[in-house]
Amino acid sequence: MTAKSFLAAWNEFFFADQSPIPIALFRVIYGVMVIATLLLLRPDWMAWYGPHAWVSLPTMQGIEPGPRLNLFTVLPETYFWAQALFWVFLASAACLTIGFLARVNSVVVYLCLASIQQRNLFILHGGDTFLRVAGFFLIFAPAGAAFSVDRLIRIWRGREGAEIRLRRPWAQRMIQFELTLVYFVGFCWKVAGAPWVEGSALSYIYHVDELQRFPVPSWFLNPTILKLATWFTLVLEFALGVLIWIKEIRYYLLAIGLFFHLCLEYSLNVPMFQWDVLSAYVLFIDAGDLQRVWNRIRDRTGTHFGEQVTVIYDGSSERLRRIANLLGAIDIFSRLSFVDLRDAAAPGGARMKAARDKLEVETEFGPRQGLDAVRTVASVVPLLWPVYLVLSIQKLFKLRVA
Amino acid sequence: MVKSAEGGQVSRRGKETRPGGRAPGEKELARAQFFGLKKWQYIAINAFLIFHTLAICCWCMPFGSPFIAACRETLRPYFVWSGLFQSWDMFSPLPKSANAYMEALVLYQDGSTTIWSFPRMEQLTLTEKYSKERYRKFMESVLDEKNAMLWPDVARHVARLPEIRGGGPRKVMLVARWSNVVRQEDGTFARGPWDEHVFYSYDVKPEDLQ
Repeated sequence: MTAKSFLAAWNEFFFADQSPIPIALFRVIYGVMVIATLLLLRPDWMAWYGPHAWVSLPTMQGIEPGPRLNLFTVLPETYFWAQALFWVFLASAACLTIGFLARVNSVVVYLCLASIQQRNLFILHGGDTFLRVAGFFLIFAPAGAAFSVDRLIRIWRGREGAEIRLRRPWAQRMIQFELTLVYFVGFCWKVAGAPWVEGSALSYIYHVDELQRFPVPSWFLNPTILKLATWFTLVLEFALGVLIWIKEIRYYLLAIGLFFHLCLEYSLNVPMFQWDVLSAYVLFIDAGDLQRVWNRIRDRTGTHFGEQVTVIYDGSSERLRRIANLLGAIDIFSRLSFVDLRDAAAPGGARMKAARDKLEVETEFGPRQGLDAVRTVASVVPLLWPVYLVLSIQKLFKLRVA
Repeated sequence: MVKSAEGGQVSRRGKETRPGGRAPGEKELARAQFFGLKKWQYIAINAFLIFHTLAICCWCMPFGSPFIAACRETLRPYFVWSGLFQSWDMFSPLPKSANAYMEALVLYQDGSTTIWSFPRMEQLTLTEKYSKERYRKFMESVLDEKNAMLWPDVARHVARLPEIRGGGPRKVMLVARWSNVVRQEDGTFARGPWDEHVFYSYDVKPEDLQ
């Protein structure tokens, strides 16, 4: 490989535009993982992070000295501030999940996550570490480019159209790199340990009672099977750390990795670790394949949400065009079809002319405009069901008053 | 370069440029060359990528060379500050090979005693296992002698617990109980006999209960 071809490959890998759908999906799953972690910590929040926690702040600073990104060191050490941090963290994680002010909230989530981890390093597992390092690189990623409130706002303001713009994936690549390191470094550590090489490691692990979750079949506890499973772990960790970059075998490896982590989730008590790691698998799936899978799901389930509704709008009106784009972005199950009056193929007629400057919806009971149109649209678009509920209650209330 | 009649600049090739000095389209061409980024942005991102890729590898790869150790020491302030420190040595190089747990033996002012147990995973329900798993990890850390600095805090915390504080605790002793997983002659593994020892004793001070 020449320097020139290396540079070209480097640029292609880190900078060639690609769909932001995988990183946006990762943002959603990552947010859910952070929320789940927080909710699991909730019952003992004050025991770990309160002013009279198991490990005091001065002790922690004594064991791990030096400046750190840790909000606990700047906030007053009181119950109020410890509780406030929890709620701010939770709210920010929720905002990150829905993609509202995604960049700002990725910074806040990272700050809070780093803070609680730095506050007590003695209760962390590998999943926590992965969330932290992935969260660092998520700050730099175009995580709000799809599936986000931010995108809807951009569409509403006319800064973005219906198409999702391609983005540079360098931050996504760093999270992928971190995931492969989890496996590859894990593999390197394991081959340095005699129990892993001789095949007895899992025999020890499956005899530690505190690690057991659900009972495993007795045949699995046979020393020969455990020996094979130990070596299989080594092979798989190496493959997921190195061979996953080979496109042709990637999906097979991801499928085996998924099965492996689900088995661990069933049998070993390390809450959230498997899910935290699995969350990043989505980054290795091609956006086109994600789209195809989603289309299949949409085609199978979409019809359950009602008949397709036709929305007629005048594309020469900036406002109506934005509304149509917005509805198109929210309508993830394709229950709406759009007709632009400017389109030569659009059916003509006096009713069409009436739709100028207004959004009109075709239903089997005739055309609808105004709130009725909104209600009809909301009834078939799952993300707008809360709006449908409010408008239906309002309509019912009006009928009763009348 | 010379000034044109309109105040713009003319390059040596005679092409008129903007007042900023670049020909129209030249800027777009430069941006396309750097994937839509300005040159300084492209350089900065590459520096960021190269630094972090090498630094993270250097930090977490289990290499024992003096050079890598020196690099780690240099990187340490940035890694611990930013939260990028990481290790991926789950169950390795040696997996856990003992069942172990911890209890606190509390001596009260009136001479009575009580034993306070830390949550033990094998005795919890599934939902409790999820939310209390941190205690498993914490106990693992506390039982490690190299974390002896944690012991006074743990003993103080036990003394402060509502169910302990009311009785007037005088002394808190931390007790480790463990049973090694042993390989038997036929190649199977079994849990060994239980052993125990008091690894820390703390005299409770009045201010601890404030």
